[in-house]
Amino acid sequence: MTTETILSVESLSFAVGDLQILNDVHLHVLEGETVGIIGPNGSGKTTLFNCLSGFNSPQKGSIALKGRDISPYEPHKRAIAGLGRVFQNFGIFREMTVGENIILALESRQPIRSTFFPWSKQNRKNVATAREYLKQVGLEDKFGDKAGSLSGGQMRLLEIIRTLAFGAELFLLDEPTAGVAPKLKNNVASLIVKLQELGKTVLIIEHDLNFIQKFCTRIIVLDQGRVVLDDAPEKVRESRLLQEIYFGNASE
Amino acid sequence: MEYFIHLIIIIGIYLILAQSFNLTLGLGLLFNLAHVSVYAVGAYVTALLATELGMGFFGCLVCSVLICGLFAIILGAISIKLKEDYFAIGTLAFSSVISALLINWKSLTHGVLGIPGIPRPEFSFLKVDFYDNINFLVLTYVLVAITFFMLYLFFNNFFARTLRAQSEFRQATKALGKNTRLTRNMSFFIASCFAGLAGSLYAYYINYIDPSSFSLTEMIFVLTVVVVGKPGSFWGCVFGTVFLVLLPEPLRFTRDVPLALEWLFGMPYPQISAIPVLGWLITPVVSFLLYASRPSVLGPMRQMLYAVILFIVVYFRREALFPVQRRV
Ligand SMILES: Nc1ncnc2c1ncn2[C@@H]1O[C@H](COP(=O)(O)OP(=O)(O)O)[C@@H](O)[C@H]1O
Ligand SMILES: [Mg+2]
Repeated sequence: MTTETILSVESLSFAVGDLQILNDVHLHVLEGETVGIIGPNGSGKTTLFNCLSGFNSPQKGSIALKGRDISPYEPHKRAIAGLGRVFQNFGIFREMTVGENIILALESRQPIRSTFFPWSKQNRKNVATAREYLKQVGLEDKFGDKAGSLSGGQMRLLEIIRTLAFGAELFLLDEPTAGVAPKLKNNVASLIVKLQELGKTVLIIEHDLNFIQKFCTRIIVLDQGRVVLDDAPEKVRESRLLQEIYFGNASE
Repeated sequence: MEYFIHLIIIIGIYLILAQSFNLTLGLGLLFNLAHVSVYAVGAYVTALLATELGMGFFGCLVCSVLICGLFAIILGAISIKLKEDYFAIGTLAFSSVISALLINWKSLTHGVLGIPGIPRPEFSFLKVDFYDNINFLVLTYVLVAITFFMLYLFFNNFFARTLRAQSEFRQATKALGKNTRLTRNMSFFIASCFAGLAGSLYAYYINYIDPSSFSLTEMIFVLTVVVVGKPGSFWGCVFGTVFLVLLPEPLRFTRDVPLALEWLFGMPYPQISAIPVLGWLITPVVSFLLYASRPSVLGPMRQMLYAVILFIVVYFRREALFPVQRRV
């Protein structure tokens, strides 16, 4: 089996005014790979995801998804093209029910006429499918509850499974364990493993090296908008550069 | 009885106007304060076509609906440049442009004099006309039923879900492959079409329209209806419409309070007011009610009543109405 490049980012630069937030970022991700992205706060990790999703418009560089240049695409077109996003500040819709959050994602790829009438067969099927997805993360009992009533961990699980239900191929997970109680961190981890098993490609922004080491084949270190390291987890862990970035240069 | 039928017809027209407003405000949290102005355009289109060109009912209705639908383009353009509160201000400005046109474009709209003599619809092929209010009531509720059927779909399918999602977190909605701009514009289009329908019906019913029927006060009334019924609630909006149209009606009977008291006490009103303590308490209240029953006072009283209700309900619903849009 040949592994293809699913995402290739070439010399991406993004600035707001005089502030250079991303500086000549190159990034290549193979299909099925799980890549960790680490870096101090404010190093540009979320901004990189926003450039990929199309929420920020980079001044320079190109982004190709499955060999197709998606730079001119609007955010929703990029999503349809296979890009999934899990937001750092929770992307679930709190005022909607847990079930509706999933149904909304299912409908994105269905023809309008199949779900136009609320009593249509497709709508009933979507309810059943949504329950199946919720069962996978242990939220089947919460189907009719407001999503805003869930705990932080449950919200993360809901958002990741929603992205799967949407049919994403490349998952951009922005700090998926932030705001998650220790007990549920394992659930998030096993859900990520499930994504891997399904052959999905995953990019995870995460502070906890121990957490991502479990499933990442590669770790990228961002510092002040530049990729300073791109290596296997063990190598990154031992790197002196990492120490310097996080704890300052001791010899200075 | 005649007055009762009048109220039911008015309720029907407001049901269409308020429920279509509920689609944009309630589901999308889009404060389109030009909704009543679009309704005005619908009324004027019908009035002009019916009086100047003698166009028939279906022609006028379709023209009103489609021309109002075109206003979605303007609303959509405003919504791209101005978000949330700024959108409300932008549409308010747009609505005052329409008011100014209705008043000042005299060659077309006849200015403040308005357009009189709008004939009621006649269906020659069925040999029925709608000069009789009972017939007009049936016509109104046929249109209400059609409107409600269509809006019920839009309140319960993918469209409503996308509209609600984008009101909370637009970027997350886009990340699920939704074209939020198209959804927003569609909501303006649908709402404006039905506002046009309501306007057309209003022009036919009232026979005479002028700019004063489409003032900001009217917009506040529709806003109050939707907020009282809980924004986004389909049946709540029906309750809000019926409740608020009927609410000031008891005020009409205030002039009969002395009669009611005479019946209750079995003695003439001057004698009642002379009863120590009780009479002294009753007299100022009755005087106030009698004062309020004068036509020149009744109108402003109604407006104040709506304003106070809007104020109270908005206070209790403020978090649902003005949530902070989340962003990455
Ligand atoms: N739209 C913007 N305008 C101004 N500054 C921004 C904008 N987006 C991000 N930044 C700044 O860019 C830097 C990187 O932010 P971010 O990508 O969120 O970092 P993190 O790596 O913590 O996710 C921060 O200093 C942030 O303040
Ligand atoms: Mg971040």
